[in-house]
Amino acid sequence: MARLSPSHRRHLFQLAAIVLILLLGVLMFFIGRQHTILLDNKTLEFEGKSYQAFSIVEVAVDRQERLELAARDRDKADVLGQRHVLSVWYTDKAFQEHELKVKFSVPVGQDMVLVSLPALVGGAPESVWLQPYFPPTAVAPPVSEEPVVVDDLGVIPVSF
Amino acid sequence: MIRVRQLIKSFGWPRIIIALFLLSLFIIAPMVGVKVSSSLSDTIARFGMNGIMVLAMVPMVHSGCGLNFGLPLGIIAGLLGGTLSIQFGFLGGSSFIMAVLLTTPFAVLFGFGYGKLLNKVKGGEMMIATYVGFSSVAFMCMMWLLLPYTSPTMVWGYTGSGLRTTISTEGFYLHVLNDFLKVQIGENFSFPTGMMLFFALMAFIVWAFLHTKTGTAMTAVGSNPVFARASGINIDRTRTLSVIMSTWLGAIGILVYQQSFGFIQLYMGPFYMALPAVSAILIGGASVNKATITNVVVGTFLFQGILTMTPSVMNSLIHTDMSEVIRIVVSNGMILYALTRKSEATR
Amino acid sequence: MNVLKETRGEKFFRVLEKNAVPILFLAICAIGIPFSGYSLNYLGQEVITRISRNSFLIIALLVPIMAGMGLNFGMTLGAMAGQIGLIFITDWGIGGIPGMVLAMILSTPISAFLGWMCGKILNMAKGREMVTSYIIGFFINGLYQLIVLYGMGAVIPIKSPALILPRGYGIRNTVNLISLRKSLDNIWAIKVFGLSVPVMTLIVIALLCVFIVWFRKTKLGQDMRAVGQDMEVARAAGIKVEHTRIVSIVISTILAGYGMILYLQNIGTLNTYNSHMQIGMFSIAALLVGGATVNRAGIGNVFLGVTLFHLMFIVSPMAGKNLIGQAQLGEYFRVFVSYGVITIALVLYEVRKRRDKARVGRLLAQDQTDVKEVK
Repeated sequence: MARLSPSHRRHLFQLAAIVLILLLGVLMFFIGRQHTILLDNKTLEFEGKSYQAFSIVEVAVDRQERLELAARDRDKADVLGQRHVLSVWYTDKAFQEHELKVKFSVPVGQDMVLVSLPALVGGAPESVWLQPYFPPTAVAPPVSEEPVVVDDLGVIPVSF
Repeated sequence: MIRVRQLIKSFGWPRIIIALFLLSLFIIAPMVGVKVSSSLSDTIARFGMNGIMVLAMVPMVHSGCGLNFGLPLGIIAGLLGGTLSIQFGFLGGSSFIMAVLLTTPFAVLFGFGYGKLLNKVKGGEMMIATYVGFSSVAFMCMMWLLLPYTSPTMVWGYTGSGLRTTISTEGFYLHVLNDFLKVQIGENFSFPTGMMLFFALMAFIVWAFLHTKTGTAMTAVGSNPVFARASGINIDRTRTLSVIMSTWLGAIGILVYQQSFGFIQLYMGPFYMALPAVSAILIGGASVNKATITNVVVGTFLFQGILTMTPSVMNSLIHTDMSEVIRIVVSNGMILYALTRKSEATR
Repeated sequence: MNVLKETRGEKFFRVLEKNAVPILFLAICAIGIPFSGYSLNYLGQEVITRISRNSFLIIALLVPIMAGMGLNFGMTLGAMAGQIGLIFITDWGIGGIPGMVLAMILSTPISAFLGWMCGKILNMAKGREMVTSYIIGFFINGLYQLIVLYGMGAVIPIKSPALILPRGYGIRNTVNLISLRKSLDNIWAIKVFGLSVPVMTLIVIALLCVFIVWFRKTKLGQDMRAVGQDMEVARAAGIKVEHTRIVSIVISTILAGYGMILYLQNIGTLNTYNSHMQIGMFSIAALLVGGATVNRAGIGNVFLGVTLFHLMFIVSPMAGKNLIGQAQLGEYFRVFVSYGVITIALVLYEVRKRRDKARVGRLLAQDQTDVKEVK
């Protein structure tokens, strides 16, 4: 390896640092991306097969709290990042309790996905139980339920 | 060619750009359906309103105290005079005269203290002046609440104490200067002769003062303190005098402003009033240590012209009101330009 | 013989004057707290919140003071850069810690560029850095408005309807940072005596303090102090004065950007056109309340300042209401005090600068008479 002059080496380090920071930025973009996962407990007909809705099912995304869904219910979970674990607790026809854990990843750039629980438990392929979801109408700006916290610095005018 | 170049140099590029910008606004205006006559009339009215506050920069620049960022202090003296005149029940033209008279002792007192303070901080005047302005405005905010004003036109109706944020000058000195010998040409153009005469009077007083013995001493203090001291001028006293003058002019300036604008703005109203005045005189060709009456006239006209023209022209041209942004960039850019230039010690 | 012989009274007043501002504030707080009627628990919680919220921003002011450039009123530039970073991550839907980190990464080049520009301009205005940096803040605010109010959504792609004004371009007045709110504070919040303490945020602030202490000892830090002492001497010693000054402003601006992101993650709402303009003034006031001066400030001043200044800030409206019957009065009072304290600090700095010159003169004269006496 050819020896580099100190200034060259310095530039190389600077370049490497910039690349590293850019990579970190890209990484943050993926692991910090917010997604909404819609969890659906509805009977699904797909290619002639019917996946029957549960009368009651519990589901949790990652380590969030369990959501209880009756038949035809839909709920949502807000998550960060692409890869998630879905835990489903259900009772089968023989009143046997089962727990199912499935790993999946949200497609890049998708804000919302719809997970059909009956299809998931019924053993359908991922493309069936995990589908991209687009809100039917333009999203109205979300109204924040939490009170808007402001600092008490807003007493002075800021422009003339 | 060389003479042209020298002329340009003495006028300064930023000024030429701004003047051309204003000129182009006046040329575009009729094409996009903005009436030039009414715009011109507005510009002149605003010139008269703001001129004296810009004039208030001159004495302090002359004595080497830098730009008067502490203009709000003078404005407060004016507010005190104006509100007191209304409180004492003067009406019409007499209320304006009384306001001027009542303002004067406050302006002299404030200016004296402010001048003494600035003498202690030579070299750092501008920053301290800024903050003297701000803190005096904030202090007066408390005072407006506490002072025992009782005039029902001025105090809050439901509590009966504490002054309102804006007080109408209608019935008092609204348009007393504007309407004096007013010339109305056509429907859209009017010339507020009284206000312009008043401005001319003030400008003349300042000009004449600067040509008296004390006035030339003031200029000497600003341009060459060592020489001034050697020739036996009391530097601190001269500086204090200049600050008193600036403060008084600021106070009179706000009264003229109010009589045209129609409202007395209290509380946070005067907070940033120094900055437009500062940038106006700088646009007119002044620098941190050099300012003339011509600078005041040219600068105020250019600055107020841009302020009046940009909103209407921009709005009809691109249907967006970007005038606010243009104003902020132009006025602060101008101040920055002046601050970063090597200050000419001698002229 | 380096010690000036002075009477005890002179010395007492010198020490008193040196700490005049903190003592004054202690007095205001001591009077205000009982009259406000707030419980100590409430005040304690508020103070902890504000230390974690504001310290980072205030520490960002320390570097230019080291380099003798006074109080960096241009820290608003960094705050704007931080806000632009936050607008982007909100639009892209990045939340939590990754969102914060990404906002910081985005803000860095913007801060660095603005800081470099600010440093260049300040080098042209030596001797009036403070007023110049103050005006730069306003000037760049104009450009910021141009970009955020007119550019975003029109030229710069922003797609989220929650951010864009109904007219189709420009960012709304308030941006809800709900996905970011307290994401750092809540990572590790513990309860101490019933007060919740955001340990993780405090660790970040502690790391910054360590960085500042370390930085003072580096070659660059030493250079800055030399430049701050005397530019000409530093130049003679082979230090690149202009470059060093620019670097100090760049560092300060970048840190201010990070500080703003930290501040806003705690607040949870971005006031697009206001937050940055107010933060500079309040950070500077807090630092000065802590006993810092225009040319000397340490980490101790930061924390003392945040505590005292914000105690005053919390207490005064209620104290005003209970004392005089008008909460409004207390609100104006605290604005007055914020500006007043900056004014006093600036005046004291200038007066002291002149007096120190006189003191050096007296010291010289005394040395000469001492020599004569020995003879």
